[in-house]
Amino acid sequence: MKKLAYLLQSKQVSSIELVEKYLAQIEASEKKLNALITVDKKGALQAAREADQRWKKGENRSPWDGIPIVLKDNISTRGMRTTCASKILADYVPLYDASVVTLLRKQGLPILGKANLDEFAMGSSTEYSSFGVTVNPFDGNRVAGGSSGGSAAAVAAGETPWALGTDTGGSIRQPAAFCGVVGLKPTYGRVSRYGVVALAPSLDQVGPLAKTVEDAAILFSILAGTDPKDATSANAQEFNVPNWDDALIKGLKIGIPKEFFGEGLHPEVEEAVRRALQILEEEGALLVPLSLSTNVYAIDTYLTIVTAEASSSLARYDGVRYGQRKEGADSNTMFAKTRGEGFGAEVKRRIMLGTYVLGAGHYEDFYEQAQKVRTLIKDDLQSAWEKADLIITPTTPTTAFKIGEKRNPLEMYLSDLYTAIANLGGIPALSLPCGKDSRSLPIGLQIMANHFQEELMFQAAYFLEKKLLGRA
Amino acid sequence: MSRKYDTVIGLEIHVALLTESKFLCSCSTEFGAPPNSHCCPICLGLPGSLPAINAKAVEYAVIAGSALNCVINPFSKFDRKNYFYPDLPKAYQITQDAYPICGPGYLDYYVQDKLERTKIVRIHLEEEAGKLIHSGESIIDSEYSLVDYNRAGIPLIEIVTAPDITAPEQARLFLEQLRLVMNYIQVSDTKMEEGSLRCDANISLKPKGSPVLGTKVEIKNLNSFRALERALEFEKERQREVLEQGGQIEQESRTWDERAGKTMTMRSKADAPDYRFFPDPNLPPLNLDPVWIENLKKSLPELPLERLHRLKDQDRLSHYEAAFLVNYPDFGDLFEKVKVTFPEPKAIVNLLMGDYARLAREHGHLNPVRLGELLQLLADEVINKNQGKDILEELFKTEEDSPAEIVEKRGWRMLSDAAQLRKVVEGILADNPDLVGRFRNGENKLFGFFIGQVMRATEGKADPEVVNNLLREELEGGRN
Amino acid sequence: MIDREEVIRIAALARLDLSEEEIEKYQRDLTDFLTACAQLKKVDVSQLRATSHAVTIKPRLRQDRVGPSLKQTDVLSGGADVQDGFFRVPRIVEGQG
Ligand SMILES: [Mg+2]
Ligand SMILES: [Zn+2]
Repeated sequence: MKKLAYLLQSKQVSSIELVEKYLAQIEASEKKLNALITVDKKGALQAAREADQRWKKGENRSPWDGIPIVLKDNISTRGMRTTCASKILADYVPLYDASVVTLLRKQGLPILGKANLDEFAMGSSTEYSSFGVTVNPFDGNRVAGGSSGGSAAAVAAGETPWALGTDTGGSIRQPAAFCGVVGLKPTYGRVSRYGVVALAPSLDQVGPLAKTVEDAAILFSILAGTDPKDATSANAQEFNVPNWDDALIKGLKIGIPKEFFGEGLHPEVEEAVRRALQILEEEGALLVPLSLSTNVYAIDTYLTIVTAEASSSLARYDGVRYGQRKEGADSNTMFAKTRGEGFGAEVKRRIMLGTYVLGAGHYEDFYEQAQKVRTLIKDDLQSAWEKADLIITPTTPTTAFKIGEKRNPLEMYLSDLYTAIANLGGIPALSLPCGKDSRSLPIGLQIMANHFQEELMFQAAYFLEKKLLGRA
Repeated sequence: MSRKYDTVIGLEIHVALLTESKFLCSCSTEFGAPPNSHCCPICLGLPGSLPAINAKAVEYAVIAGSALNCVINPFSKFDRKNYFYPDLPKAYQITQDAYPICGPGYLDYYVQDKLERTKIVRIHLEEEAGKLIHSGESIIDSEYSLVDYNRAGIPLIEIVTAPDITAPEQARLFLEQLRLVMNYIQVSDTKMEEGSLRCDANISLKPKGSPVLGTKVEIKNLNSFRALERALEFEKERQREVLEQGGQIEQESRTWDERAGKTMTMRSKADAPDYRFFPDPNLPPLNLDPVWIENLKKSLPELPLERLHRLKDQDRLSHYEAAFLVNYPDFGDLFEKVKVTFPEPKAIVNLLMGDYARLAREHGHLNPVRLGELLQLLADEVINKNQGKDILEELFKTEEDSPAEIVEKRGWRMLSDAAQLRKVVEGILADNPDLVGRFRNGENKLFGFFIGQVMRATEGKADPEVVNNLLREELEGGRN
Repeated sequence: MIDREEVIRIAALARLDLSEEEIEKYQRDLTDFLTACAQLKKVDVSQLRATSHAVTIKPRLRQDRVGPSLKQTDVLSGGADVQDGFFRVPRIVEGQG
């Protein structure tokens, strides 16, 4: 991105040219990929023209003024439909911008379009979209991952230099791993959620997807900071792209939790991650074996909390104020028809589960129990930081699976096995490409850090990326 | 009735707080705007919008809790109450369930001249729903309803009482006192007709003296003090009849139909909603500074009951007089101001409760200094009562002239000169020899007639005391 | 095993109109899910508080100032049925008329 910024600044390329280039790539690859739900050609070109005017006058809003972006389609954009890949919001046009969108516009980034996702971000493959499956750019028979599958595939296929995704249990990192791009789920509260359509508000975070670690860091620096509109946003947690420094690796304690290298992990994935660990060790990092024994509860805890919060977050789609409506003789019938027809199978499944676990007689056994186990998991993570500065694991047990391969919902839920813990603990976690399997499918490595320690995480990722690319 | 059963009543009162902006967004709380014109992504529940708590609403809740002698909890949380209804934009209400902002307290108030105490269980903060306008006469016979979300998101406190109240009238008096307290602390305008004060009531009967509570019925839609009392009276009788015929009371929600004058079933316990409360992940718990809470408590104004007792004890007013000044705080405040220049509480309250009250309701209040001057003229016997009334009416027309100036201009000074008045008295007695004869034969009530004649002859200027003495002298001197 | 009536009750509570097949499907899914989650119930959490928020955040309260609202036409623009400045909904009380 620094190169693009240089080209813009030195007038070797204009924003219009950039946007046209990406629109052309979209044109070329969309038929196959289906990464985007909406392409805003007109809006992006208009924004690019304005950026070029600013550059001409030397009034550019930032070094990135005029570099376009794609947003996951659960991030509200004023005047541009935001569907959440759901039939119920197929024609919904927000009356306001999400705070992250405001930040992007302030920096001058034209919005190319909105990326596909699992309906309301519920899924791990972008198969649960009312707008069709997004295909993995590396293999047309495989999924891009999810729920930010459209964002990850768009970046991987060069439809956009970078993109925004959201991550509730792994929804940025898993598709990033499957599509061979960098994806970050920031510390909970570091990026505003205002305007980001809720799945599970206590877990959701917005984050960047990009081709390189530095690009992800740059985009994160635009997003991070306090937002008075989001009561859960952290105080004074801006982020500046650091000066990259290999010297930081020496003496760095890297935690290796044994639970993330056990049964179910594909040998090729393990091998790639171990190779990366070796590179770090060679540079002087200390590999610290440790245990996150509570991860065995992570998926169930995560699912209980996600379904409960989602059942409430999605109750507002009742056909009165916005969204699709199916008429009924009375209000309750209208609500039930609207929701019964408007939501897809997975959304309805999660609403059913969530309604159950919050219900009279079940709350203590399920929801409250899960919240208490969540405390246990948080404590487990906290004690890990006494032994390690960072934790490294595979992002996913396997590389991208085949479209239609996972029919059982419980099997699909296991996609989040290594990622959900970061959301439960509110810690930052990043996925970085660390090689390819024998089918040439990308493999992702996950780096986790303590709250607000994104900078250290980025340093390690930057170093690894450089070394891995050097070897490739 | 009361011989066989005890009545047990508890109230849940919603009070809209008088903030400028809504509870969780910055839309205006102004009443009467065009429908759906005070709405934003937050109070419309647009996807992705998030709540941001209004500090003033929290402050008002703490003030209200303090005025109701409640424990103020520095730690409290916000929960979601999940249910579907067209007026509820997010299909959940942000409220406080497990950890409310105020814990136990109480309110003291008079039932006739007996001081009663009703315990308050808790007070919590929550958001208001939108407003529904039904196409038909009532919700039941409406083919469709219209929704206005201007009201959605206005801050409310919900005050829950213990089932301490034993009679419908007492429930009304409690609610009236509660409203007065809210007015004194200025956290709400408590207009029942605009819905800024609303009340639901729970009522059950139990055999007299029994420690076991009966099955309670909840009554909703009580839109006036009168409706509260009438609905409870109706429900008390209905339940008594059921019990006396050996029936059982069903736990249910009933609605008050003002026109029919009766309560009707809304929903039974079987369809009681499952609200699935859970902590709202979008709002961190409140952690209030105990010093801030203490300061708010200390800065509470004088409350109605304190004022009542001060007026009775220090100003020596009767319960009735004091209650008038307390219940109409504008009169109470005027009373205090007049007292500064004219420190005679009884005289002031007599003036305020008389013709003044009627005139003030029509025209608004007068300058307290002018009222003090008027009272002083009466006290100094410069004018008599009739003239006082005339001057009062003059003052309501214009306050340009002081009462003394009006006296001068109009020559309304009291006529106290005995010699001058004696002539008038003698003239009247001479004109009415028959009546004088009848009086002298014992028809005492004619005395008032003679006084009236003298007053008329002097255009109301005569000093009634002097006239009185003269008449007695003249008439009784010649009595048989 | 979650019984059929329970599935119907939950669907009604969540205002989801489900087909026969869906009721059967969710009956199975709910049962599977609850079986899978059963291990959570065995974890000893007696000494633990519930985590409702991932990170402890001091609440920031907003000043009581009126900000701009949306225009009425915008507010109503998403409504499927609007009339005279209002959103319109079919009868609220069931089973009449
Ligand atoms: Mg309430
Ligand atoms: Zn609003």
